[in-house]
Amino acid sequence: MGLMLVAALLLQAIDTTPPARPPRTVAIDERLATDAKVRVGDRIVLAPTPGGPGDTVVVAALIQRRADPSEVARAEYRVRMHLDELQRLTGYGDRVDRFAVATPSPSATDSAIRTINTAAFGFRAYRSHDIAVETSRTFLVVSRFHRAIGVITIVASAIFLLCIMLLKVDERRRDVAALRLMGISASSIVKSVMVESAVVAVIGSAVGVAIGGLSSRLINWHYRGVYRTPLSFALITPSIVTLAVSLSLVLGLVAGFLAAQRLVRQPPLELLTGRRA
Amino acid sequence: MLLRLVWATLSRHRSRTLLAILGVAVSAAMLLDMVMLSSGMRVSFRDLFVATGFQIRIAPKGTLPFDTDATIPDAAAVVARLRAMDGIAVVSPVLGGQLHVERDGRSVSSTALGVDPAVQGDYELEEGREPRAPNEIVGNEDFLTAVGARVGDTLSGAAGFDPQLRAVSGQRLLTVVGRGRFLYLASGQRAVALPIATLQAMRGAAANDRVSLMMLRTAPSANVDSLLTRIEAAVPTVTAISIETAMRQVDERLSYFRQLAFILGAVSLAVGFLLVTTLVTVSVNERLGEIIVMRAIGVARGRIVQQIVLEGIVIMVVGALAGLGLGLVTARYLNSILASFPGLPAAIDFFLFQPRDAWMALGLLTVAGILAGIYPSWRGASLPIAVTLREEAIG
Repeated sequence: MGLMLVAALLLQAIDTTPPARPPRTVAIDERLATDAKVRVGDRIVLAPTPGGPGDTVVVAALIQRRADPSEVARAEYRVRMHLDELQRLTGYGDRVDRFAVATPSPSATDSAIRTINTAAFGFRAYRSHDIAVETSRTFLVVSRFHRAIGVITIVASAIFLLCIMLLKVDERRRDVAALRLMGISASSIVKSVMVESAVVAVIGSAVGVAIGGLSSRLINWHYRGVYRTPLSFALITPSIVTLAVSLSLVLGLVAGFLAAQRLVRQPPLELLTGRRA
Repeated sequence: MLLRLVWATLSRHRSRTLLAILGVAVSAAMLLDMVMLSSGMRVSFRDLFVATGFQIRIAPKGTLPFDTDATIPDAAAVVARLRAMDGIAVVSPVLGGQLHVERDGRSVSSTALGVDPAVQGDYELEEGREPRAPNEIVGNEDFLTAVGARVGDTLSGAAGFDPQLRAVSGQRLLTVVGRGRFLYLASGQRAVALPIATLQAMRGAAANDRVSLMMLRTAPSANVDSLLTRIEAAVPTVTAISIETAMRQVDERLSYFRQLAFILGAVSLAVGFLLVTTLVTVSVNERLGEIIVMRAIGVARGRIVQQIVLEGIVIMVVGALAGLGLGLVTARYLNSILASFPGLPAAIDFFLFQPRDAWMALGLLTVAGILAGIYPSWRGASLPIAVTLREEAIG
């Protein structure tokens, strides 16, 4: 309904406000104010149909858009007006689309929902959270998509890490052979390679977290500008950092173990000369 | 000879080469997916728009088709005016609404489209026929399953429901005469189509002589841009949208996916490049003695460069070919996730395979393979022969 009004926000509309009545006030969102070059104090005509009769109102306030995922891809405008004014203008009568009810506690919410749904004839009450979940479906899909991309990235990283560890270990064949000939045990060599790969993984993930932090700022700055919303598009939380570092550490240890195992299985002399015995 | 040398080098460390190829395959799969994502949506939407041959959509002023509940008033007069205009061959009016069907004591709600069956472009018939009489409808599979009906059945349907009185409004007996596939509706969305006059009458005064959308098929020689201007001048209460305008809106709304595709594609390419560069560099470092002996016996510098660059290209190309299959499998999986996007037409594919995409991914990876070999080959070819020979081959 709001969009219909805004779609009809044309200054050439015919004003039907009775002359004796002072104009009512409305609040418009910043996006509309910018696009229509309207400022606080300006008079505009709101009409339910484009070019049709409408009422002159005064813009009393600009409102910031909420961080609502369901609105993010919709380039629509918002006008907040007095309920009776909207009902009169649209011929909606004494009707509303919904009521918002504040309750003192979560248990009171449950009890209010039960009471309304069983007692109030023709009404259906919903928990705000349930509505939020329903309207966030777009982002849930995007989130699932990102998770799938994340799994592919992890697979690629694991292969990359294993490859790097193999190369690093291969590079030190002679050192390892010398250590083995000096009497250092195979398990000590495996451990040292694993520690090394763990260090590489942790340093790599620390750099990754820093790049991720920087990227998330860049992403938020860019998409907030594109969609003109205060919504956070990329969020780095402690749990995400913990997961990324732990995963990287585990991958690093596994890669190091596999690479070292391959090396210690070969006889030291073979490693030293590079020829099979 | 060159290829034999490359093969000998790569097969010397089989596990290492296999891992590198696997790494490149995953990167290539991701790259192919992202190339498919960046162009797939556009192609898919365009195919959908042109599928029924309607080049122009007419929506209420300032809105996009079915983006709001707004409707176009005086629809009959507007349709007549449009049909009289030069360059317009067909006008197909559409009114959106709801249909509530009582079945076994429960109410099933469905999207209802009021159409002119003779010129409609919203669905394709799969079974039965188009509605001819005012009380005939075509439903999609989801609707028919939900109400447990088949072609030939008669249902009691209503266009409105008053929650305060718990009573239906605009009730009619409707006969299902066909089953159709609705082109612009989301997967799983129940839908019916019925004659537009019937839906207008069922919805009552609010929809009297109103439509939500008009679709226009232009004459072959018509200039679409000039038609848009003429339509908006002739009917001030509407916005005329061409396929190009609609595509721009699609681009704007789904720009996130294109940008994501670009970033992830670039990252995949960079990962593949780094992997091959590292591998070839280490491989060259291990073979310095061998390379310098070749130089010492007279093998040309260019030949050394060719061999090392070819090693990178072989890893990249073999990995890319393996990644092609992997990419198609992952694209299908990722597409199934995005297909559940709320409100998106079921016919839209985010990941649409086109041979051009595969060639582009292969081309990018080949270039990356060439670039990956440049540094190590330069290093290998520019070594001082005498010093390196003493250090590597003798010392």
